[in-house]
Amino acid sequence: MRLSLLPSAQWTACFVLLSVLCSLFTPAVSVKYENFKTCDQSGFCKRNRAYADRAGQLGSSFESPYQIAPESLSWKNGQLQGVILKTIDAAGETVRLPLTISFLASGSARVVIDEEKRQKGEIELRHNSIARKERYNEAESWAIVGGLDLSTTAKEERDATKSIVKYGPDGQFEAVVTFAPFGIDFKRGDATHVKLNDRGLLNMEHWRPKVEKAEPKEGEETPVQVQQGEDESTWWDESFGGATDSKPRGPESVALDITFPGYDHVYGIPEHAGPLSLKETRGGSGHHTDPYRLYNADVFEYIMDSPMTLYGAIPFMQAHKKDSTVGVFWLNAAETWIDIIKEKESHNPLSLGIGSKIDTKTHWISESGLIDVFVFLGPTPKDVTKAYGELTGYSQLPQEFAIAYHQCRWNYITDEDVKDVDRKMTKYQIPYDVIWLDIEYTDDRKYFTWDPLTFPDPIGMLKQLDQSDRKLVAIIDPHIKKKDGYHVVDEMTKKDLAVHNKEGKPYEGWCWPGSSYWVDCFNPAAISWWKTLFPYSAFKGSAENLFIWNDMNEPSVFNGPETTMPKDNLHHGNWEHRDVHNLNGLTFHNATYQALLSRKKGELRRPFILTRSFYAGSQRLGAMWTGDNQANWDHLAAAFPMILNNGIAGFPFAGADVGGFFGNPEKDLLTRWYQAGAFYPFFRGHAHIDTRRREPYLAGEPYTGIITRALRLRYSLLPSWYTAFHEASVDGTPIIRPHYFEYPSDEQGFAIDDQFFIGSTGLLAHPVVTQGADSVEIYIPDDELYYDYFDYTPYSGQGKHTMSAPLDKIPLLMQGGHIFPRKDRPRRSSGLMKFDPYTLVIVLGKDGTAKGELYVDDGDSFEYEQGAYIHRVFQYSNDILESKNIGTKGKLTDKYLKSMKDVVVERIIIVGAPASWTGKSSLKGGEELEYHAAEGGKAAWATVKKPGVKIGEDWKIDFSVSHDEV
Amino acid sequence: MRRIETILLLSTISSSILAAETPRPRGVGPEFAKFYKSTSSFTCISNPAITLDPSRINDDYCDCPDGSDEPGTAACTHLSPLSPPQPGAGENVTLALPGFYCKNKGHIPGYVPHLYVNDGVCDYEGCCDGSDEWAGVGGVKCPDRCQELGQEWRRLDELRQKAARAALKKKAELVQEAARLRAGVETNIKGLEDEIRALEAQEAELERKYQELERKERGKVVTSKGKGSKVTVLAGLAKQRVEELRNALISVTGKRDALKERVKELEAILSAFKEEYNPNFNDEGVKRAVKSWEDYAANKVETDDSAEERDIQEIAKPDSESEGINWAEWETEAEESDTDAIYKLEEYLPSAVREWVHQKLTDFRIMLVENGILADNANSGSESKVVSDARNAHQTVSDNLEKKRSSLEDLRADLGKDYGEEDVFRALKDTCIEKDSGEYTYELCWLSRTSQKSKKGGGSTGMGNFVRFDTIEVDEEIGADGKGLGQGERLTLMYENGQHCWNGPNRQTTVVLACAEKDEIWKVQEQEKCKYRMDVGTPAVCEKTASKPAPKEKDEL
Repeated sequence: MRLSLLPSAQWTACFVLLSVLCSLFTPAVSVKYENFKTCDQSGFCKRNRAYADRAGQLGSSFESPYQIAPESLSWKNGQLQGVILKTIDAAGETVRLPLTISFLASGSARVVIDEEKRQKGEIELRHNSIARKERYNEAESWAIVGGLDLSTTAKEERDATKSIVKYGPDGQFEAVVTFAPFGIDFKRGDATHVKLNDRGLLNMEHWRPKVEKAEPKEGEETPVQVQQGEDESTWWDESFGGATDSKPRGPESVALDITFPGYDHVYGIPEHAGPLSLKETRGGSGHHTDPYRLYNADVFEYIMDSPMTLYGAIPFMQAHKKDSTVGVFWLNAAETWIDIIKEKESHNPLSLGIGSKIDTKTHWISESGLIDVFVFLGPTPKDVTKAYGELTGYSQLPQEFAIAYHQCRWNYITDEDVKDVDRKMTKYQIPYDVIWLDIEYTDDRKYFTWDPLTFPDPIGMLKQLDQSDRKLVAIIDPHIKKKDGYHVVDEMTKKDLAVHNKEGKPYEGWCWPGSSYWVDCFNPAAISWWKTLFPYSAFKGSAENLFIWNDMNEPSVFNGPETTMPKDNLHHGNWEHRDVHNLNGLTFHNATYQALLSRKKGELRRPFILTRSFYAGSQRLGAMWTGDNQANWDHLAAAFPMILNNGIAGFPFAGADVGGFFGNPEKDLLTRWYQAGAFYPFFRGHAHIDTRRREPYLAGEPYTGIITRALRLRYSLLPSWYTAFHEASVDGTPIIRPHYFEYPSDEQGFAIDDQFFIGSTGLLAHPVVTQGADSVEIYIPDDELYYDYFDYTPYSGQGKHTMSAPLDKIPLLMQGGHIFPRKDRPRRSSGLMKFDPYTLVIVLGKDGTAKGELYVDDGDSFEYEQGAYIHRVFQYSNDILESKNIGTKGKLTDKYLKSMKDVVVERIIIVGAPASWTGKSSLKGGEELEYHAAEGGKAAWATVKKPGVKIGEDWKIDFSVSHDEV
Repeated sequence: MRRIETILLLSTISSSILAAETPRPRGVGPEFAKFYKSTSSFTCISNPAITLDPSRINDDYCDCPDGSDEPGTAACTHLSPLSPPQPGAGENVTLALPGFYCKNKGHIPGYVPHLYVNDGVCDYEGCCDGSDEWAGVGGVKCPDRCQELGQEWRRLDELRQKAARAALKKKAELVQEAARLRAGVETNIKGLEDEIRALEAQEAELERKYQELERKERGKVVTSKGKGSKVTVLAGLAKQRVEELRNALISVTGKRDALKERVKELEAILSAFKEEYNPNFNDEGVKRAVKSWEDYAANKVETDDSAEERDIQEIAKPDSESEGINWAEWETEAEESDTDAIYKLEEYLPSAVREWVHQKLTDFRIMLVENGILADNANSGSESKVVSDARNAHQTVSDNLEKKRSSLEDLRADLGKDYGEEDVFRALKDTCIEKDSGEYTYELCWLSRTSQKSKKGGGSTGMGNFVRFDTIEVDEEIGADGKGLGQGERLTLMYENGQHCWNGPNRQTTVVLACAEKDEIWKVQEQEKCKYRMDVGTPAVCEKTASKPAPKEKDEL
């Protein structure tokens, strides 16, 4: 109203001018939507969504055409086998879909549905295709490494309509397999937690021949389309962005609905830029309109809060409600879409009165392959990630340097440039472990070569780095430059190890080097050959402190459909690219992993390889990062939800480019990003070639100092981080953990993804990710005592608390009841801290106790597998601090302990020290104690100086107050 | 392990021997020895309230808030404004000691940061005696290399000193040369000033003459000009017109040639762009641009216009007796017309009368002209040859004078221009030096321009034109060969407005100068997109300072 009083024309002009100015300053960068498909542009997704819509419209009159033939069923050794008949026409004709339901010793269940005709090869391929006729059945050989032992205790009962299998720990789990229509309800206790085909959306598009219809002759009027039978418009050759997919097998998609009754949160299915708790995808306020997509792609300048596909895919989802977590793993490597809706619980007597009133209903749609789905019944998040890890493997125990700080840039342009950055970091006393080389180090983008003009002396460069125990990571990508005389491409083509096009000839595409071929790492012969390229003698200019970065392995093909390969390309065994696409990155990563293991005879060290593309199982091979992000606050904020999601999906060694890849961060953004990055499991600063230099020492004060403190915080906590990595490597527990994971009963925490716990340390971080913020609202999930990490200000009481957070402050709390190890002496690199003494921080809980762990090994070799490590639990209770060994002795334990015999605990800090210690200056054992009473709103604390205990030994320290002292 | 113990034992013995004369704990420099003298107690250097038993010194635990109880270990390294703040380790930490003192017997003693102590790395650069790794962590051994390193250092230092002396000599030569050049300029100025004075006199004279002639002309009675004079006038007009057209033609062809060059340059940019653009960025705009360029390039017709060009060149040549039109033939009149004869009546009068009559007539005519009764002859465009000759003569001298004056101004400006201290860059101006670095050859032309040329082909790219002197604070190493900027304020030459970068600004170069025996580009860095820094050695910035081989102190922050 008030506005109308103003001379409006003038104001409009002002406004227009202002908005024009604004648009000038708005970064004009954003993803090119038109380069990537929507569900509607992806034939099989559109068909299956339409199928779901029809089922929804028909309601109870819809009947799923899939039924188990009861007489086909047999039970043997924990496995139920049979055939599902799919009725395909009104005449009642059926196709046979073999079904195998396996109940695993671990308590997981697996449901596999195949197509008999294709198993037997009784189909015809169009276009004289030489592709395989079977549905792709080798995803398992890449993704699964164990946990497939069948249950010996599972028991089956069957009647005319259903089969009931009791399995799992103490037979608490139950699978009810209904015959007509086919469906499975998975129960724990009395409640159903996961339902397959509850909505009848199961769909396996069986093979069919293409019936050529007479084309209307020229000049004749096109007859009005009479809708006869099915809509075939997306069945055959499909075009997008100027490329045509020949689809020699026609429509062959698989889909299944999976319902989580009573669950209102689902997490996982990375990689997407969006919140940890997944959104609904069928429209409505605040919801997505497209399903979450998994089709690994090099998405240029990706956008926030989107279900769009990114570089990696892990089709593993967790559903969570108060006190219960379940999960599903959809083992399919083809393009996949997942629709999610949340509905008010339907009338379901079994879940009455339990948990929330929301059902989360998911719909999984893949372009080809088998239906192969694992069901995990929990009941805790930890149980689910552990069970998933038993199958796909746990996170690699990395090289210790790999969890320190990485300094990267596209590109450090000469070997002198690298050495200069190295000297400057040293000079400014900023710790770092690894410096990186992007593609420009190569001679004309030919991997395994060095540009003779800009990197004339790689060995000299590596030697300088090694003086401070620092490393170099060089990029090696899967595209191999097509250039005569380049030995790598010559060998690869001679041995026929490249990916083929649909005609069976080497596929040629465009990438960084220009015209290129792609190594086909699905081929065992290609892996063997790849291994020959990496020995120090073969990769001239490489050395022991050089490690590898695998980029562009989605694969990224600049001139391909959706910036990747045509789906009708052929891989080893003539599997279509369509079938294996999402596995491609993993196979390349795997080949490099094998190669690094065999660089030198007799040398067995842990590889370190960063990958951009990944699939379920990639966690065994190294680290991932969230790709090409941007230097803005939104991307900073998006990184934690993405990393958390990756973590709960079994791949916790994750990080985002600190500073943002594209664009120039303002100094406050860069500073905040380092403060956040100090909590990324994978911590690397990186920048695009067009950006200004931004090595930490260039920021100037106060920024350089603040950034250095963040880096030194990471370094001092490395013993705790490494312990968390170890934990992840043995049971799959994420390294940074979301609230629901640690507090599965606290409903207020289920959607929180801007703060998290670090390993089992009790450290709760809430880094600032918004511009101009000088405080954060940190959420405390319980009534335990918490203390500010930096000044011991106490916080307590379940709920939100305001923490002041000026630019030089990282909101970080220590939770009472924990003990965590640190190394406080700043060094040039993590390697130089190896023999430094420890500081133990004891944060006393409400009950006056605390507990924590330390895992340490050589951080480099596989000798830990033979016991060469120290694994201790520290316990404080009844005024006694005790260090106990929880490792298992092996062949090399003594040797390792001997090498560590001089490493001691130099200091013990007790936060929240009891007031009864006032005036005390020593402990019973004579250890010197310094007590600081609570003052100025800060908690009391005490220090034990030089307790004289060794890190590798059992010991006790008595803190009790003797009468004569008080 | 036994070996380590032996070493420890040995070092204990040696330190106890030393203790007799210099009772300094490990890592303490002589200037701090006084704080460690007492055998009964130790007082933290900057916290006198805290007194410790001397056994606490170097016991590998940090007691003093200023770190002074641990001069020989890394135990106090967490006391640093660069470490995460913790209670007890105050945020405003001031460390008492500059670092770990290495005696470096046989070489120069010095400090290394405490965080280098017992980290398993022999830091010979600051600690040639290996004393920073006294604990032998992880089995590291750092034998004393001071003899060898000291010798090498002294050898290099001698070379450095020699080079420094030579550099100073060179500098003196440069200054001398600059002074010589300056004197030359001053001489030139003087010469010019004289010339200008002469020319000014000449100009005044010619102007007077011209004005007089013009005045006379204006005084002439309008004559109905005879046939011959009409042609003369026409010829005059035509000549003027032709001259104008010719000048216009020359100017247009010049502009055309410049535009042709621009088009060529643009086409080169676009074809490079087409080669080098990144198709991965999938930028529709860029793709469209590339497509349009391809179409344009395909449609381009190469025409042969050499004939036309020849004609133009022919036309553009100035007229003379042998080429074009011989105007002289048309401008001078062969015979006098009748009217002219009448005008010459005056000539029959006695000279005194004639002067008077002529004067009166002229004045009268001028009066008439000024009152608008008579048309002004001079403005009628039919100026007589005599007047125009006079005018041209005056003009020529006046132009010449203007040129000289501007030269003089330039010279004076040059004299007043900043050529750095002692005018020294005057001696270097417009000379160039080159450097091969990686993919590029870089060129620096003193006070003129910087450029780079790729070895992979392509032309030279301007990295900026000299605009001014400036200074910069640097903190760099100096190599063993004496090359490097060192620490402190350094003179810089700013080169700006070089070739524009695709996706970036105009190129610019900051040339940072340090003393060296000869002009040499040491290092070129692209600090940010298309902003370069050249570290350059030159005798021009050498200064007489006592080069002191002081201990290399490393600040411990």
